[in-house]
Amino acid sequence: MNGWRTLFPNAWYISAHEFRSRARSRSFIIGTVILAVIAFAATQAPVLIDFAMSTSQTRIEVLVSASGLPSDSQALLAGKLNGQASSASQPAFVLSWLGSGDLKSAQQALEQGKFDALLIVDRDPASQNLAFTLQTDLTSDGQVVGTINQAADWLALDDGLARAGTSIGAVQATPFAVVPVNPSAGPAKNVSQEVSTSLLSTGLIVLIFMAIVTYGMWVAMSVAEEKGSRVMELMLNATTPLQMLAGKVIGNGAAGLTQYGIVLAAVVGGLLAQGPIHQMVLGSGSGAPFGGLDPVVLAAFAVLFVLGFLFYSLLYAALGSLVSRQEDVQSATSPLMMLIFVGYFMSIFGLQAIDATWVKVASFVPFFSPYLMLARVSAGHVALWEFALAVAFLLAGIAVALVAAARIYSAGVLLYGQRVGLRQVLKAARVSR
Amino acid sequence: MSLVIDSVYKRFGDVQALDDVSLEIKPGEVFGFLGANGAGKTTAMRIVLDILRPDSGTISWNGRLNTEVPRDTWGYLPEERGLYAKMKVLEQLVFFAKLHGVAPRKAEQDTRDWLERFRIPEYADKRAEELSKGNQQKIQFIAAILHDPQVLLMDEPFTGLDPVNAALLKEAFQEMKERGKTLLFSTHQMDTVEELCESIAILDRGRVVVGGTVRDVRRSTGRQVVRLAVEGDSDIDWLGTLNGVSVTRRGQDYTEAEVARSQDPATVLQAALARGCTIRQFEIADPSLEQIFIEHVGQIDTSERTLAPRGTYP
Repeated sequence: MNGWRTLFPNAWYISAHEFRSRARSRSFIIGTVILAVIAFAATQAPVLIDFAMSTSQTRIEVLVSASGLPSDSQALLAGKLNGQASSASQPAFVLSWLGSGDLKSAQQALEQGKFDALLIVDRDPASQNLAFTLQTDLTSDGQVVGTINQAADWLALDDGLARAGTSIGAVQATPFAVVPVNPSAGPAKNVSQEVSTSLLSTGLIVLIFMAIVTYGMWVAMSVAEEKGSRVMELMLNATTPLQMLAGKVIGNGAAGLTQYGIVLAAVVGGLLAQGPIHQMVLGSGSGAPFGGLDPVVLAAFAVLFVLGFLFYSLLYAALGSLVSRQEDVQSATSPLMMLIFVGYFMSIFGLQAIDATWVKVASFVPFFSPYLMLARVSAGHVALWEFALAVAFLLAGIAVALVAAARIYSAGVLLYGQRVGLRQVLKAARVSR
Repeated sequence: MSLVIDSVYKRFGDVQALDDVSLEIKPGEVFGFLGANGAGKTTAMRIVLDILRPDSGTISWNGRLNTEVPRDTWGYLPEERGLYAKMKVLEQLVFFAKLHGVAPRKAEQDTRDWLERFRIPEYADKRAEELSKGNQQKIQFIAAILHDPQVLLMDEPFTGLDPVNAALLKEAFQEMKERGKTLLFSTHQMDTVEELCESIAILDRGRVVVGGTVRDVRRSTGRQVVRLAVEGDSDIDWLGTLNGVSVTRRGQDYTEAEVARSQDPATVLQAALARGCTIRQFEIADPSLEQIFIEHVGQIDTSERTLAPRGTYP
């Protein structure tokens, strides 16, 4: 292992070479564009949700045949239909209060499609309670009709109370206090922000997963390619296996980081554009533009991305050196792939049960921590020391992987022919330089 | 002060690739490595380059072990040619030279000079995969010498080259020799060895069966060969009927025969004169390397024993 001292500058030259040939490849360019588009789209989730919630607007005309309705009836109905604190820029219901108008012209307007429903308020002669008739083509058991029904019930209640000499305002429980269960958790996010956060953390996990699988595979492929094309022998005369190993991991990692940087730029750009796009689509601004993404999560992602890639790509390089042809890389690296998939699925399920013991334990294991620790960080349930410990374990894992990979690599690169067994590699590793 | 291979053993599984190989190659010498496929030539070169480690034995250059010698001492042309297929010729040659510590500017200038000499200057900006095999080989030769190594090891450098390119490469060999470089190459082509090499070694199944200067090797067999050409009559069947003489080669130019050690080669000349032949050529020669090779290695083994990498160019 006299290669440690002379790692550079050859490792730089090799990494620059790897980076250049990678970044120029078509798959890299196309992949980067697709990922950036997906990331940008994910940041627009709140806009989409607000948009979906705002598109349906129901216009109702209200005809009052009953007499003696309380004076606040119109305001009460409108309030109950559209909710107390509607954040949507456009109300879900538009009310046209006709009072004791003409039934014929009201029905005519309904038939002409100027309105979606006609609500006739009448009084039951026997009980004196209000009675309602809704003329509409809306589904009778749908959500819209249900909302109208509930609002009408409030109207009937208010009318009953008025006849009894009181009013809703007088009997309503005020105030209605909301107290968070965990006061330190900070203010609750609204639905669209919650969805955006969850989408983004899933997205980040997918991004790390794809980075490790894709970029790790690049390393293995580039090792196998050099072996397959026989450049390996030329390279071996000019460099040491350790220089090649380091150069490949750094070069492909830098290419991966470049892709990551571009995707990140798309995310930031998307978040900055949330407001303007919201304005454009819905005619009003949205809340905090960076509400969906926590800088802490991004920082954790960057750290775990780099370390996770280093760890796995060293293993990929070692496995890639065991095969003679690129076609065999898939099968040689499949055990590693399994491990990566296990970690990935653990983190996806872990997002649903983030406080489970198995999630906590696995988030410290180097093979899984790049995903699971990220999942835990994005859920916000992690202490700084826990993150530091996971990173420390991961660093130790990288050190072990580096030594092991260098040994396997220097033995593997000259073993041609049949699939190489573990025993052969270990034997060869003992005598190789 | 030479390249010394001392009692090297190397085993791959149940194949003894090198079996007590000892050789000395003098500085500034052109050394030919002969042997059938799988004789151990490639393994020996890889061990000299410290790409592989021997099971036992040592290699030294000018008294320093090969594990201690700077890597830019060696220039290597592997048997299986390999270049980065998608990379431009100039770019990858500069890359290889840079790995050996050559300044990029100098590497580029030298590359262009060599491409010029090999009559392919227009390929500098072509991708390697666009080049013919012969041209790729020339590129690989340039890759092996750009860092001005003291020792050049070349595995089958002439395989697959047309006569014009082979001549260009031989010229380059001569220049390397004039620059004081030590050249070691393996080949199957005996005429190339006879043309270029001062010393040779014949390997068979991992053992050196014969080695030394070409002249010594030729004489070591103790066989006598005569070459005879007579005017007009090409029918010299009578030659084979002489006592102790057997015809080894029949040609329009001359006929070659081996004469038993007990016989004086002059008897052939006397017999020809006695028959009234007009003699155009009579020569007492050393046996050709091909004959020596066959004598030592026997029938060329057709069973593939090669340990050298075999694969496809992507």
